[in-house]
Amino acid sequence: MITRRTFAKYSIGTGAATLLMPYSRAMAQGANRPEVTIAVDNLWANLNTINGISTTTRRFFPNIYSHLVERDYIADEQGLSLVPGLATEWTQNGNVWTLKLREGVRFHNGEVMTAEDVAFTLGAERLWGENPFEPRGKTFTAGFVRVEAIDDLTVEIETEREDPYIPGKLTGYIGFVVPKAAYLEMGVDAFGQAPIGTGPYRVTLFRSGDVLEMEAFDDYWDGPPPAAKLTWQIVPEFAGRMAGLVSGEFEFMANIPTDQEAQMASYDGVTVARALAGNYPAFAFNTRPDPEDNPLVDVNLRKAMVQAIDMDAIVQALFGDTTFHPAVPFNFPEYGDFYDPDMVNPLPYDPAAAQALVEASGYDGQPLRWHITRQFYPNYEAAAEIMIEMWRQVGVNVQAVILDNFELVYQRPYHLMNMSMSTDFIPGDPYQPLWLDWGPTASRSTAHWKTWDPSPEYLAAGEEFEQATDFETRKAAYLKLSQAWQDVTPGYYMWKSVYNWAHRSNITFVPRPDGEMRMFGDYLALFS
Amino acid sequence: MTRFWLIKFARTVLTLWFVVTFAFVVLRTSGDPVVALLGADAMPDEIEHFRELWGLDQPLFVQYLSYIGQMATGQFGVSLRDSRPVMDIILERLPATVQLGLAAFALAALVGIPAGILAALRRGGWLDRAIMALAVFGFALPNFFLGILLILLFSLTWQILPSSGSGTFRHLIMPAVTLATFTAGTLARFTRSAMLEVLERPYMRAAAAKGVPAWKRVLLHALPNAAIPIVTVIGLNLGQLVAGAIVVETVFAWPGIGRLLVIAVSQRDLAVVQGLVLVIAVTMVLANLMVDLLYGVLDPRIREAAR
Repeated sequence: MITRRTFAKYSIGTGAATLLMPYSRAMAQGANRPEVTIAVDNLWANLNTINGISTTTRRFFPNIYSHLVERDYIADEQGLSLVPGLATEWTQNGNVWTLKLREGVRFHNGEVMTAEDVAFTLGAERLWGENPFEPRGKTFTAGFVRVEAIDDLTVEIETEREDPYIPGKLTGYIGFVVPKAAYLEMGVDAFGQAPIGTGPYRVTLFRSGDVLEMEAFDDYWDGPPPAAKLTWQIVPEFAGRMAGLVSGEFEFMANIPTDQEAQMASYDGVTVARALAGNYPAFAFNTRPDPEDNPLVDVNLRKAMVQAIDMDAIVQALFGDTTFHPAVPFNFPEYGDFYDPDMVNPLPYDPAAAQALVEASGYDGQPLRWHITRQFYPNYEAAAEIMIEMWRQVGVNVQAVILDNFELVYQRPYHLMNMSMSTDFIPGDPYQPLWLDWGPTASRSTAHWKTWDPSPEYLAAGEEFEQATDFETRKAAYLKLSQAWQDVTPGYYMWKSVYNWAHRSNITFVPRPDGEMRMFGDYLALFS
Repeated sequence: MTRFWLIKFARTVLTLWFVVTFAFVVLRTSGDPVVALLGADAMPDEIEHFRELWGLDQPLFVQYLSYIGQMATGQFGVSLRDSRPVMDIILERLPATVQLGLAAFALAALVGIPAGILAALRRGGWLDRAIMALAVFGFALPNFFLGILLILLFSLTWQILPSSGSGTFRHLIMPAVTLATFTAGTLARFTRSAMLEVLERPYMRAAAAKGVPAWKRVLLHALPNAAIPIVTVIGLNLGQLVAGAIVVETVFAWPGIGRLLVIAVSQRDLAVVQGLVLVIAVTMVLANLMVDLLYGVLDPRIREAAR
């Protein structure tokens, strides 16, 4: 931890000239590397790359594991350019992708990474076979039929149909490489408690409800990291995180309530960092006749409710200029060439039109239950209060039912339900929110609590979208699929989520929209 | 005497069985832990896989029998979150809670009992009123509020104590004070009323008439006779210390079983919650047992009645 005392010690030790020099890669192996403490609201129960998927693990995973392919957020704010990670080249030949691996990469246990490790990481035994070690991997490996090590540094991935997005998918959780031998020897559960990766820091202590400690791994393939030690300390209470950062106990803290950001930024020596996340809080309409008298089966009522919301005003009131409301579903700026900033919103805020649609639906004023998970999405309950009033003004009676967890939210009867959609499974492509999250295998169309039955038009357009490999065909299919979704309007996207952090001002930190806190490379400079 | 202890033991076993069964039924019927653990976007086959893996696809009665059978052999199952044995997880965190609880308890007793005695001796005076005002303040103040207040003053403003975590004596100060405040306030009030009752007894007047010094009258004559209600309150407040630890450990990021309980309940980690409920129930039963034993030590009449 950097304290005022140790700061002075480092300063004397390294000389005045280095005071103005960022603690860069060139200096990383020095004896005086500082220790960094990060106050977080939570860790997770296990650190397996797939079983441990959560917003909180994503923060620190890249410090432990390296991706096969990286998204470069330094060169491109949206992270749409892919750059080599553990894979240095990737080429496609029909249904087969060939990855060339970086030579001489070492795991934290000293073993050299080989193609066998990568094939195991992505293989059936671990992710997508009959009884895989990490069954959640099936979601991210749909269509995989073969993953094979061809030689020490070459891996082939074969999919059932041509998939141009494999490199993009490898920038996500499935792209974190684990050592086959250690994983099998330890077993998935033990590995999740003492993980081994190829990242710049090695885990030395993990107590899931308390602390995660890592030390610098100087054999890291991209050079030694800038901190000698990272301590990820759980401090559930915001006041504790804030006080610790201001007093210099911590160098970083994660997750600041939106209404506290200005207060946080007002302290001397503290800097607030933000990034727009690849995630949109939303709500789903229950479009099905369950309960039998569900008035939301009528699309007119659903569209009326969309047109009754002045979401731009709500976002402005709750977030200021920090984020925005995506007027047209799936037309998100992070989708590069798919994004059309001039796309016309077919259902703009229009209370008179909303009222007319309510009348057309024959809605009789029966109360509609909106299931909301308590304090799960920042400002969601506050937005819900305003929306309920806006709906009341056009004659729709919605009651917010605040529940403690998703399991309770999923219990019928309900008419609306909170949820969120991530957009970064394939960089620059709307596959995840538009098809993976709403398609025929998605939980919201298959689970006991399902909110809709995909329409024949949506399914047909989705089939086209999935098979399209060149951009023009895919974009046309995307527009058709999006239209088919909007014709039904089974949900509503509210705003783009915001991740925020605060850190000591003598640190330079580049925040990423995926929430990763990279304590190395071009994302961090510590001043000594 | 043997019959007395046999009855006590049978009651203890019955209480623990009831607590375990109640926790089991309530947890199993109040929501599916798989959905809570896997999150909002888990696929149905993932949910099914984990449900089978953890035996949650079995009928409730079968799950219950299996659980009781495991417990009979000293097995408390494994956490649904990280697959570690429940007792390992609890024992890893128990020392922190015991440390905090003992520190808070000692602080509450050292402050609350003398304050109560002093208030009784100065009945009606400004000191009595000041102590009782503080006592009311102490047990009326929600400990999450007091905790945050202390953090804002001692960590944020004056920067003299660490805001959270554990490991050094300085880390212990704010959580222990927060946890002790309620109990100290309660003890002060009960000690005062118990002492007032005793101070008016004839044998106290007789001791004064015999010329026994005031400090001897208070410590050797009055306090032992006022001890029974004080011990009862202490026993009851042990439960309050456990409940208070849930909040205080969360506010100060103290790595004890209070925080573990919060996490386990919110994540529906059934095995851990059941293990914790059992540990807390055993603690309470033992605390009550110790209070019963202390009654015997303090009052020979109770000791004789038990024979």
